[in-house]
Amino acid sequence: MAARGALLRYLRVNVNPTIQNPRECALPFSVLLRRFSEEVRGSFLDKSEVTDRVLSVVKNFQKVDPSKVSPKSHFQNDLGLDSLDTVEVVMALEEEFGFEIPDTDADKIHSINLAVDFIASHPQAK
Amino acid sequence: MVSRSEVLSLCRAMLRAGRQYPHYNLREYTKRRTLDGFRMNNTDQSKVNEAYAEAKAQLVVLERSVKFHSLYPPKTKNIMEVKLQ
Repeated sequence: MAARGALLRYLRVNVNPTIQNPRECALPFSVLLRRFSEEVRGSFLDKSEVTDRVLSVVKNFQKVDPSKVSPKSHFQNDLGLDSLDTVEVVMALEEEFGFEIPDTDADKIHSINLAVDFIASHPQAK
Repeated sequence: MVSRSEVLSLCRAMLRAGRQYPHYNLREYTKRRTLDGFRMNNTDQSKVNEAYAEAKAQLVVLERSVKFHSLYPPKTKNIMEVKLQ
């Protein structure tokens, strides 16, 4: 027991880090890494802002009756758009948020809810 | 037989190409014309393959045209692009 304590005391490491060469130590790697990932994380848009912008884009669409547009609207079932109109709406959303939506994902966006979720989870949305 | 998703992705490719024109009028025209063209040929199921091949050829023409028009961009901003204050 005493030997264990003595061994642990012998192995105790100093908490205060030794000051290294200041030129090398200007930005420790962990701080850099954290800063970079914070920037990326911070560029996700706020969901309510995304919803407002998406709703305004859909309401400005010529074939859509603005009074029928709600955050839960389905493009084909509720708003009466066909698949080409859906393509047009997704293109307009791409232009509004300034990033490319790949074809496979664009095919899955059938309602305003899905559009908002996709855009809010995409880091390149502006 | 072309599938529905192929037609939609061709439509998207044409719209994306048309977006790259520096000229407002060409951009709007391409958008309007591609959507109208795809919609017109929607109804006749027997002519879908022909229409698809034609649209593919037009896409190549469109890409080339975008490159040419980008060499001579307009010098002033179009009035339609100015935001209302």
